[in-house]
Amino acid sequence: MSVQKANVTRFELLMDAGFGAQKAGDILVQAFAKLGRYVYIEPMIPAEISPPPRTRPALSGVIIRLADFDITNIGNNTDVILAAHEIVLDRRLDDDEYNPQCRVLLDIGDKKGNEESYERVCKRVAQMGLSIYPIEMTPEALKIIQNLGGKGKNMYYLGMFAQIYGMPEQAIIDEIKETFGKKLNEDILNKNIEIFHQGLQYAKENIHFSYEVKSVPENIGGEKILIDGNTSLSMGIIDAGIKLFSGYPITPASSIMHTLAKELPSYGGMVHQAEDEISAIGTAIGAYYGGTPAITATSGPGLSLKQEFIGYASVTEIPIIIIDAQRSGPSTGMPTKTEQSDLPAAIFGNHGDNTKIVISVSNVIDCFYAPVMARYLAEKLRLPVFIMSDFQTANSYKVIKKLKVCALDNVNDIPDFVLERFHISRLSEKIEMVRTNQSTPGVEGGMRRVTGLNTDQAGHINYFSGVNQRSHQVRNEKVHTVRRALTKPEMFGKGEGELLVVGWGSTRGVIEESVDILSKQGYSIGGMHLKIVNPLPLMLKEIFSKFQKVVTVELAYGDQYKPAPLAMLLRAETLIDVQSMISRATGRPIRPLDIREKVKEFFGATQNF
Amino acid sequence: MVTQSAPSNAPFNIKDLFTENPRWCVGCGDFGILMGVKRFMVDTQIVPHNTVHVSGIGCSGRAPNYINAYGVHSIHGRPITIALGLALTRPDLNIFVHSGDGDALSIGGNHLIHGVNKNFKCVFLLYDNEIYALTKAQSSPTTRKGHATMTQPKGTFLDPLKAIRLVLGIGGSFVASTADWMPDHLANTLKAAFAHNGFAFVHISQRCPHFDPENFDHKNSSWFAFLKHEKGIAPDKRVADKCEIIAHDPGDLNEAFKLSNQEKSYFGLFYQDQNKPRYDEILRNQVASAKQLPREEILEKYKI
Repeated sequence: MSVQKANVTRFELLMDAGFGAQKAGDILVQAFAKLGRYVYIEPMIPAEISPPPRTRPALSGVIIRLADFDITNIGNNTDVILAAHEIVLDRRLDDDEYNPQCRVLLDIGDKKGNEESYERVCKRVAQMGLSIYPIEMTPEALKIIQNLGGKGKNMYYLGMFAQIYGMPEQAIIDEIKETFGKKLNEDILNKNIEIFHQGLQYAKENIHFSYEVKSVPENIGGEKILIDGNTSLSMGIIDAGIKLFSGYPITPASSIMHTLAKELPSYGGMVHQAEDEISAIGTAIGAYYGGTPAITATSGPGLSLKQEFIGYASVTEIPIIIIDAQRSGPSTGMPTKTEQSDLPAAIFGNHGDNTKIVISVSNVIDCFYAPVMARYLAEKLRLPVFIMSDFQTANSYKVIKKLKVCALDNVNDIPDFVLERFHISRLSEKIEMVRTNQSTPGVEGGMRRVTGLNTDQAGHINYFSGVNQRSHQVRNEKVHTVRRALTKPEMFGKGEGELLVVGWGSTRGVIEESVDILSKQGYSIGGMHLKIVNPLPLMLKEIFSKFQKVVTVELAYGDQYKPAPLAMLLRAETLIDVQSMISRATGRPIRPLDIREKVKEFFGATQNF
Repeated sequence: MVTQSAPSNAPFNIKDLFTENPRWCVGCGDFGILMGVKRFMVDTQIVPHNTVHVSGIGCSGRAPNYINAYGVHSIHGRPITIALGLALTRPDLNIFVHSGDGDALSIGGNHLIHGVNKNFKCVFLLYDNEIYALTKAQSSPTTRKGHATMTQPKGTFLDPLKAIRLVLGIGGSFVASTADWMPDHLANTLKAAFAHNGFAFVHISQRCPHFDPENFDHKNSSWFAFLKHEKGIAPDKRVADKCEIIAHDPGDLNEAFKLSNQEKSYFGLFYQDQNKPRYDEILRNQVASAKQLPREEILEKYKI
């Protein structure tokens, strides 16, 4: 029996869609977290609902990163893969995210009749230099699974993982009961527990390695929550006092609507499923004109459709909040893969001049507070405010300490800690609007008509050149008000040196982790993460000037002639030759390792990791 | 723009609804519609500061700017979406949607379908001049076949889309038709529409003397007739004695379909169903019937 001690390790469970891989992952990480470990979870979700089993598109699974220190991202490579059959394994190996020592546990239950296929994949694993461990279900477990109509394999694998990662059997059984207790009848619940037990016993007898990740006593106890990005955003919407969610189904934003459909009515709010993306934002704008805080959420294709209304909201000075859960584009792209390439569409996407605020989220905590931040900005400025998330942030989850709620009613009551989280100071009370009268319907003596046409200060339609120029100035001054209020962005490592690595949104965790490690190794490197991406803070050039080279890491396409979106923005803003160190659109998140390799290349180091 | 309203305790008159002189062409049917709307507002004394006129783009889109109430001149084809946002969250407001044939039946067709289907409370005015006018004489979905336009100069290719038939077909709960040159009938139609419990669709034949002067010859009454019924809308007094009047029960959907399918135009109430469920009420009831929870505890259920 070899016990491998690790500060951090990563493993994954690969199954066919619909067989509960993510559910098994949920149970496991809750037990890990309660027993003092830190976890970060990324589900792998197919773009289709129920692709035929035993096909490559059917791959559905969960990646779990486990550590004895707080982790901010899904990490680098996998140490243990458990695959339900050879086809999902073969598909996942294509992503090239395994360690050279990675152990591959392959269920050979499907081998009969598929010998050739199994042989080919096993050969591939061997050629990669990885060790393969054939596993199988016990006859007892198989019998119960048959009895359950083919379901329950996930519990068996859960049992194996529990054994491999040294989780007490009872701790997991408690989690299973907590997860299924109310949903399954006792007989089925007990069957699931028995399958789990079978898996655990099987691993005890047949798998002769295990991992030991230390429990951190400080991380035990206290109120903790397990939450993913979209659920956190949904709860943040409620916390922000938003009373209408108006959306149209689109991956990966839909789950926000699903969560709110269940929850929002209990907090005095409505969920409206519109006939299309345009209608969804129109209805939110209509509600906000009537004085009701409203929000819409979408992804790339929906963002394209909403653009005319976004420009309209700027001109009419009707507040509106838009969540963009970015996915791989352009066009339909890869709906269940992550990307950050909507940034230009958010900042510059409507026709004519663009005046809006774009904030981004990097983790589940940001997700919770972003709606409060966005509502404050939208109502103070009466401009559109974006919350930019992405597939990765939307779906990844973490166990965190329970968050403080704001229960916001009046935006002026926004707590300081939320402003600090987004690196902005409180805005001044007096912000000039294009139109003086901003009354809400129902106010006697305040009757006014809003229009997308240019108007003067009194609200009259006006096509005179000077009046139009003034409207632009007033709208842009609102953006500049934010620009001036922005404080220094979050920095990692050194404040000066040879290389500064900059990112926004979901890349925060990998920048922080890789810059920390590289700094400890003596590299002259700093990191920066931007949460508000439009406008950008005024001191950016000053910070950049303290480094010999500034580069970005982004999940968006760029090449030697085409700077990736953030690099393009930073170049325009600072006139500094910012280039993209990583600008890829593979659909997979950037790993700390990728940054470290690129940085070493930059410094001309030769040693390997 | 901002204008003072009459004090809420005193009755208001047509003058109180004035904002500025409309920028429409001389003889435009929109003047008649605007007058009908104002007369209706004065007759019913609906409180202007509790009233929102929402419009899209086109000649009709300008209407809210010319009525001293609240107004949203929105974007092309989308006024229904804005109106729904108000209807869901502000049931205290009186909501009117002003939309043209291009706005409602072409670019905004999808919203018309779903607005009618959702049956949320509003009065919808379709200004149908059978042409794109503000963009200068292109064919619209209701332009009559053969009529030459800037985009189909040899004559419009297709038969016009029958808006009333469409709205009946998608389950309209209130379908009426009137014309810009009959202010009495128009105001009475709006009264009936405003009293309706749901989405009240009002088709208005509207003259466009600039781009299609020969259309809607209101001096010749052979091409139209009035629908008459005790539950309907009375025929226009000034026109009624010169034209055909037929009896039609607005509860008879089959007959309404037949009428909507004919070449002849009918003014009056085609169909009304006061019992169709309203989406705005359904959504509000969801909130009213949900057990209200304190926001302070929203994260409790995610506790491990």
